Formats: sequence, C-alpha cells, structure tokens
Amino acid sequence: MNLFDSLTISGSALAAQRQRSEIVAANMANAETTHTQAGGPYRRKEVVFQSSSASGFRLALAGTGHMNGPTAGTVQISEVVEDPTPPVMRYEPNHPDANKDGYVAYPSINPVMEMVDLMSSVRSYQLNASAVSAAKQMIQQSIDILKS
Amino acid sequence: MPTIPIISTLESYLRLTASREQAISANMANVDTPGYHTRDINFQGELSKAMNGVLNESADGTGAMQISPVVQEVKGLMERPDGNNVNLDREGLLMSQTQLQYQIGVQLVKHQFHQILSAINGGGQG
Repeated sequence: MNLFDSLTISGSALAAQRQRSEIVAANMANAETTHTQAGGPYRRKEVVFQSSSASGFRLALAGTGHMNGPTAGTVQISEVVEDPTPPVMRYEPNHPDANKDGYVAYPSINPVMEMVDLMSSVRSYQLNASAVSAAKQMIQQSIDILKS
Repeated sequence: MPTIPIISTLESYLRLTASREQAISANMANVDTPGYHTRDINFQGELSKAMNGVLNESADGTGAMQISPVVQEVKGLMERPDGNNVNLDREGLLMSQTQLQYQIGVQLVKHQFHQILSAINGGGQG
C-alpha cells in the first residue's frame, strides 16, 4: 500500500536525522576531549546520507510479483566519517597529555558549525515529522470511508 | 451499471495521489542527501492514462487494473553545490495540495457509497 510506504520513507529520514543529531551532540560534548581509547584527541565525526531504493524485505516481496515495486527513496546513514582536519595545538605544559614541547592536541571543533548542523538536523526532523502526520491523516481519511 | 466506473476512476485517482505523496515524502526524506534529485510523477498524464484504462476495462469487464506511475526526475530546479536540488517550498506546497486532492477523492467515494445506500434504503425514507 502506497501510503504506508510514505510512512516508511519519512520514518527512515526521522531515524537518519536523529542519528545525525546524536553525532553532533557527541561532537559538542567532546569538544575538549584530549584523550581517547584510540589514542590522541577526539576526532570530529560527520555522517554521510545515502538514498536507497529498497530494503531487503521489500525487494524480496517485489520479487514474488505481488508488489508493484520496491519502496523508492528511503534515506539512511551509509557511514560515519572522521573529519581529517588536524587537531589544534595549545600550549599547556602541565597537562598530562602534553607532548615534549608542552603542547596539547585539542579536537578542532567549531561550536558554531555544530550548532548550525544541529539546527538543520532538527528542522529536517520537523519536516519529516509533518510529512508523517500528513500521511497519517490520509490513511485516517481512507479508514473513514468505511464509516457511514 | 453507471456507478462502477466512477468508483474505479476515483480509485485510480486516490492511488495516483498516494503515489505522489510517496514521491514527495521521498524528496523530503532526502533533503540532505548529496546528489539526490527531486522526483515526481506526471499527475495529469498518469490520470488520463488510468482513466482510459478504466473505460477500456469497463467495456470488456475484466478485473482490477494495475497502476504503476512512472516516477521521473523534475527538470528546472536549482541545484545546490552538493548536487541536491530538493526545494522545500515546492515539496511543502505539493504535499498540502496532494493531501487536499486525496481528501476530495475520499469525499467523492463516500458520496458514491451514500448514493448506493440511499438507493438501497429506498430514497427519501432512508
């Protein structure tokens, strides 16, 4: 059914945007983190969105010939990449993570950039949430045909 | 029986509107996907195709028809530097338009069924 596919598509975008805002939150929380398990300062992370034509289940159904075609246009986060920008060096000789010259590597995170990214993600989330309620309203109207 | 083609026509209208809603949802979902291009269906073309199908089928009396509208990329939209050309204003307007179109279709279907019901109940007494 088409309208439920709309819900699937908008839902995939909601999930993707939520994950994006989680990544932004992680970036802001770790703006001053100099120590990670991998060693070195925290690296800023970015998400990569990818539009995908179908989920596996949907493709399998389409293969049986009972479905018109796969759900087109769902979005997903294909990978989370690290920003290659070199860390910012600050002179803090008493810091335990300081190198032999007394410099500490801090992640190069710009709070303004993160805030803008977060706002854009929140707006996209709102947009897709309103698309969900539009589709829900249409489904509700179809159900109302059954009422007298 | 004149009511059946009307309801099938309305059915294809509703199906098409729902397909368009799906295309718009996909555009909205991919508003941040680099390289994504806006897609839409040619509503008028697909509707007239579907209505021709309805008329032909009511002539030979075969079963339900299949509508698979062609989803194509929309030309003439400005592309952002990341290769994405989704225009939120366009999608928002089209979504509310599609929603209202769907509502019209639903009201017309309801009206058809009410007419049948009032015929069953004997006109004015029902």
